[in-house]
Amino acid sequence: MISRKNLINLISVILSVLMTVLIVFFFLLILGKDPFEIFGTILSEVFADGYGIGQTLFKATPLIFISCGLAICFHASLFNIGAEGQLNAGSFVIALIALKLDFLPAYAVIIISLFCGFLVSGFFGLIPAYIKIKKDVSEVITTIMMNFVILALVNYFLLDFFAVQSTMRTEKINEDLMFLKISDLVPFFQGSTLNSSFILAVLAAVITYVFIYKTGFGYKLRSVGFNELASKYLGVRTNGVILISFFIGAGITAFAGMNYIFGYKGFYEFGFSNNIGFTAIAVTLLAKNNPIGIIFSSLLFAILDYGGLSVNQLIPKELMLVVQGIIILSLLAVDKLVSNYFSGKFI
Amino acid sequence: MDLLSSVISLGFVAQVLRLMTPFYLGASAANFSERGGVINISVEGFMNLSAFSFAVISILTGNVFTGFILAVLVNLIFSIMFGYFTVSLKINQIVTGVGFNLFIAGLTKFLLVYIFSSSSNTPRFEGLPELSLFKNVPFFGLFLTDYITIFCFLLIFISVYILFKTKFGLRLRSAGENPAAGESLGIKIRHYRYYGIFICGFLSAVAGIWMASNQNSYSDGMIAGRGYIALAAMIIGKWKPVNIFFACLLFSAFEAFEISLQISGSDIPSQLIQMLPYFITILVLIGFIGKTKPPAADGVPY
Amino acid sequence: MNAIEFENITKKFENFIANDDITFYIRKNDVHCILGENGAGKSTLMNILFGIYKKDSGKLKVFGNEVEFSSPLDAIKNNIGMVHQHFMLIDDFTVLENVILGNEISNKYGLDFKTAEDILNKLIAKYDLGIDLSSTVSSLSIGLQQKVEILKLLYRESEILIFDEPTAVLSPVEVDLFFKIIESFKADGKTIIFITHKLNEVKYISDRVSVLRKGKLVYEADNNKNSALAISELSNAIVGDVSNIIVTENRKINKNDSPAFELNNIFLSVNNVRKLNDLCLNLFMGEIHGICGVEGNGQSELVDIVYGLQKNFTGQYVKNVSGGISIVPDDRKRKGFIKEFNIGENISLKGANFIYLPADTINKISDKIISGNDIRLSDKTAPMGNLSGGNQQKVIFARETISDNNILILVHPTRGVDINATAFIHNEILLQRNEGKAVLLISSDLDELISLSDRLSVMYKGEITRTFNRDEYSGYIRSESEVEPETDPEFLQMLGKLMTGIND
Repeated sequence: MISRKNLINLISVILSVLMTVLIVFFFLLILGKDPFEIFGTILSEVFADGYGIGQTLFKATPLIFISCGLAICFHASLFNIGAEGQLNAGSFVIALIALKLDFLPAYAVIIISLFCGFLVSGFFGLIPAYIKIKKDVSEVITTIMMNFVILALVNYFLLDFFAVQSTMRTEKINEDLMFLKISDLVPFFQGSTLNSSFILAVLAAVITYVFIYKTGFGYKLRSVGFNELASKYLGVRTNGVILISFFIGAGITAFAGMNYIFGYKGFYEFGFSNNIGFTAIAVTLLAKNNPIGIIFSSLLFAILDYGGLSVNQLIPKELMLVVQGIIILSLLAVDKLVSNYFSGKFI
Repeated sequence: MDLLSSVISLGFVAQVLRLMTPFYLGASAANFSERGGVINISVEGFMNLSAFSFAVISILTGNVFTGFILAVLVNLIFSIMFGYFTVSLKINQIVTGVGFNLFIAGLTKFLLVYIFSSSSNTPRFEGLPELSLFKNVPFFGLFLTDYITIFCFLLIFISVYILFKTKFGLRLRSAGENPAAGESLGIKIRHYRYYGIFICGFLSAVAGIWMASNQNSYSDGMIAGRGYIALAAMIIGKWKPVNIFFACLLFSAFEAFEISLQISGSDIPSQLIQMLPYFITILVLIGFIGKTKPPAADGVPY
Repeated sequence: MNAIEFENITKKFENFIANDDITFYIRKNDVHCILGENGAGKSTLMNILFGIYKKDSGKLKVFGNEVEFSSPLDAIKNNIGMVHQHFMLIDDFTVLENVILGNEISNKYGLDFKTAEDILNKLIAKYDLGIDLSSTVSSLSIGLQQKVEILKLLYRESEILIFDEPTAVLSPVEVDLFFKIIESFKADGKTIIFITHKLNEVKYISDRVSVLRKGKLVYEADNNKNSALAISELSNAIVGDVSNIIVTENRKINKNDSPAFELNNIFLSVNNVRKLNDLCLNLFMGEIHGICGVEGNGQSELVDIVYGLQKNFTGQYVKNVSGGISIVPDDRKRKGFIKEFNIGENISLKGANFIYLPADTINKISDKIISGNDIRLSDKTAPMGNLSGGNQQKVIFARETISDNNILILVHPTRGVDINATAFIHNEILLQRNEGKAVLLISSDLDELISLSDRLSVMYKGEITRTFNRDEYSGYIRSESEVEPETDPEFLQMLGKLMTGIND
């Protein structure tokens, strides 16, 4: 049975998506375009063949990972805006470790490098968490600032020590480290870069779901998010919860690099993330911080991303960035109006 | 040697003072909003928006003054939206700020391609007219070259005056410090919060316009974190107009230094200079360089 | 002439009647004291008078004219000023800025600080307030901050001044100064409404007294040469008849050699305000140790120290028993539970570790608690915020007692709880005691304290001023078989005096 709270969430998510469609519809009309043609092209391109679906799933993969990390932070009322920096630090380290440890068996290299990436990203999450509990400084400002610091550091170490001459990327890792392409198993996805990272991402979402909603720690982190003071009286060590939540949440963002490094290019490239750390904030909010919902909202954003490419002939693909912005703003407004309505305080 | 001599020249100092303009305008913008109790982390987005609309309208109409006025107007319209979200609906101010930043970034990227078929920049155009008044004055002539920069210097005094010497400023600050106290004395707190956001919209518009006018074009990503540095300057400057000015000078000195580095071909890594403003801000927040305290009700919906 | 007339004022919050048909008047130029326990409805009534709440029914007259206030601004326009218990000051502003805010004087160059300063300095001199207009409020002592609030009222030329527990935060010297100011206001013809707990102050300063209890006006009296106040009548009116006493079975005095915990010479200051002052307290296994006292005399700080949330104290805290401490905190909504979680989740949270915690387990715990504690609900998976206060408190109580913790701290365990739940909880408290647990009971309900406690201590200004053994008062508790309640008014009166700091 669906609870009243989930029902209200669902209503506001659906309403805000509908509102977005409506706004974009009129926006396109104003620009003199045919909205039906554009919406139609997007859907037909994405769902036309295995390639379209595969590419959409491929684009959803890093979003799912990052959003799961953010969901953990958001549930603990930690507004982590630093995913963009955290994920780059972790991904960079994943590529470096995978390059340096090439004498080990492939599975060991993959596990060790992913683990190190997790630790590094997590470490950069610990910093704002520590400053928050020790100095009472909002994590918002520190994570914004940390983004710039981390990106500059990654850029410096990459260019000065590790980059292939006159590029912004590392060397390519060994071919045997590359993940299985799904199209090798399922010919339906022929040509698509969809790889086993996607399966791991879905798995991560399920694990995150269980972690948040079904474990003792998950209850603690949500209780801290709901009411830190009451949590203290309930015997929760709130500072510890904040540190651990931020560490794990930031750590998971590193896996965004898995899809790119092990599943696609074989190297870390500066700028590969292309602000996906911020897009993931929108994805997470749209999913109302629910990891299972994140799978679907990531797919929606991936459809926009890939679908944008397919309508580029008709209208610049950047339209989809506008759509993403409209989704998040509609969600914020609709969500508030809906919850005001249901609590009988509608103004 | 080249680097050292270029840094201790008068030209360098003038460069620092000139490059300070967008930082100080942005920081003042954020300050007026936060003094009224609304955290506006979309100063970055608002600067981007006005730089874009100024360039586009100036190019399309061929008139930079039209461009200026309409760019300010666009920002004010967005400010009303921002106020509706944060003040009327009382939505979390940070989330709203992130949302506006994403939306504006998307909108400008899209319209840039849509109007000019370029994903990087607009065509070049003639920026706002230069000011020749101080042209022959030694040193001052090097940086007082346009109206906005002069306005920026005047803004230090204007901000102090408005915030601390007028009824408006007193009430605005009460909205940011203790809205319940203000309301108990009959002040319409929500109106003042809107006013703070409007001033923020206006000043960030001027900051963005200066950027585009100065480069004679708009290019994607040209604000490049200046809005966030402005926020940092506001924090380091402890929400005080004069202190913010010095914080901005520090940050524009970094930028000027970085430019000198590139010219001199020095081997000091420029990335490390670029990250200094953010790194210093974190240190300040941790409390290494004095304590900073925001307005007491900053970020608290009322 | 009457400054204020309340006629049949009624105000409800959901099901709770805060003011029930209250009618009385306040004469012009009187110092009028309003007394009552916490939750008696004093603050609600004052908030209606100051335009913060809207009354549900009844009439309000100011200087004979019927008024309808919809905001404090309306009250201010009618020359009513209020000093709230929690000051409405802006810490970062100067005194001058705080006072003029909302009624600024401007000239063509902006704010006219000079004129305002002249006006205010005259007022400061006239009433001997002794505050420096240029200092920042955060740098002032509480006593001086209160004077800033008073200056705000004077600057606005308020004729009716409301003070909500003004002396609660003041030192004795400051109280004397405050009363001098009040007397000079009276000499100027102003009307003063004074909300307080302290009977000696009432006797000293008031011209007339009104007592509220459970939302109703229960007592009124003049205090002048012709008819002096009888303190005993007043304290009876405030506390009410002690009629709800429940009877407990025989108590075994089974004090162990060492107490469950002891606090020796505890001092604590928070933000430079002394909260605990040489506090000594112990608690034995198998006893209920009641603490009575007016709220804000250090009880919550005491609880935080015992529970381990407050560590910045000096003195000795020795815990002699193993295991954790259970707590039913005072402010149920803020500290007691997570309102978004359901019953089972709230219970599982306490002591949950990093393991799989499926819904089934939680449901079982939830069922056990619901059936074992007579909690009647339509939906057991509903968030706890939707439950009634009584049910919320039962759940919290059950959560804290299912563990085998030896120490149980109860703070206002039956506040805002209906009669049936109260009886249930009282019974449970005794059961816990009989199981041998050490129970620290902090309450403002004297019935509850007297009937349950094995020892009863009075807390005043951060210290225990007196401890009674049960045999000193048990003889006065009505037993079940008796029809007439046999209470001891003298004992109650003595408690009332101790709680308000009167030492005979």
